[in-house]
Amino acid sequence: MGRKIHKTRTEAASIDMTPMIDVVFQLMIFFIVTMKMTKDVNPNIKLELTKDSRLLENSEQALIVEVDRNGMVSSHNARMDRETFRTILKARYNRVGEFPVLIRGDRRTKHRDIRAVMDICADIGLWRLTFVGIKEKKTRT
Amino acid sequence: MARERKHKVGEKAELNMTPMIDVVFQLLIFFIVTLKQEDILARLDVNRPAPDKVPPQVDIELLQIQVYNLGFVLQGHRVTLEELQRQLERIGRNSPNTSVVIKCTADSPHAYLMQVLNACGKAKLTSLNVFSM
Repeated sequence: MGRKIHKTRTEAASIDMTPMIDVVFQLMIFFIVTMKMTKDVNPNIKLELTKDSRLLENSEQALIVEVDRNGMVSSHNARMDRETFRTILKARYNRVGEFPVLIRGDRRTKHRDIRAVMDICADIGLWRLTFVGIKEKKTRT
Repeated sequence: MARERKHKVGEKAELNMTPMIDVVFQLLIFFIVTLKQEDILARLDVNRPAPDKVPPQVDIELLQIQVYNLGFVLQGHRVTLEELQRQLERIGRNSPNTSVVIKCTADSPHAYLMQVLNACGKAKLTSLNVFSM
C-alpha cells in the first residue's frame, strides 16, 4: 500500500518535455539562420525620414556609398578616401557601364561633402543618383 | 536478482534533459534580445549634371528652389517647409512635367535637401536636378 503511493508521486513529477523542446529548437534554428553577425552598413549614419518617397528595392548591382556626418566616405562600412572611391567607381564603370549609385548620407552632413561625392560620380559619367532615406522607422533610437 | 536488473534497464532509458533545456533557453533568450528589425528604406532619385556644366538660367518651365543652412527659398521667396510642400503640390497638380532645379549651399545640412526631395516626390514631380552653389 505504501509502495503504491510512492510510485504515483514520481509519475506525476515528470511531464513530457518533447513538444516543448521541439518548438524551442525550431525557434533556435530560425534565429540562428536569420541572424546577421557582421554589419555591412555604417551604423553611425542617421538617415533622414522621408515617408512620402518611393520604396527602395534591393538591387544587386547598385553601389552603396555612405557619407557620415564628418564627410568620411565608406562603402559597406569600409572607410576609404575620395580618391580610392573615385578609382573603385571608375573601375566598375569601365567594367559594367552605367549602374545605380545609392548615396546614404547622414542627415547632419554638410552639402559640401555630399557634393564632393556627387561630383566624383558625375565626373565619371554617372549623373543619375539616388539618395537613401527612411520610409518607415522600425529601429528605436 | 531478476527484479533488480529490470529496474536498472528502466533507469538507463531516461535521460536528464534539464541542463540541455537550460542552455537552449539561454541561447533562445540571447537571440530574441539581440534581434533587430531593419528600417524600411526610401529612394529619392535625382539628376546631377557634370560639375563643369553651367546651371541653367531662370526659365518659366523651371522651378527654382534654393536650400540654405537656415531654410528654403522658392522662386526668390523665403518659405517654410510646409509652404514649400503646399506650393509644390499645387504645381505638381497643374503641370506635373515641371523641371525642378534645387541649388544647395555648401553649408546646408543634407537633411534639408532630403526634405525638399521628399516634398517633390509627394507632389509627383519627377524631374529633379541638384546643383551646388
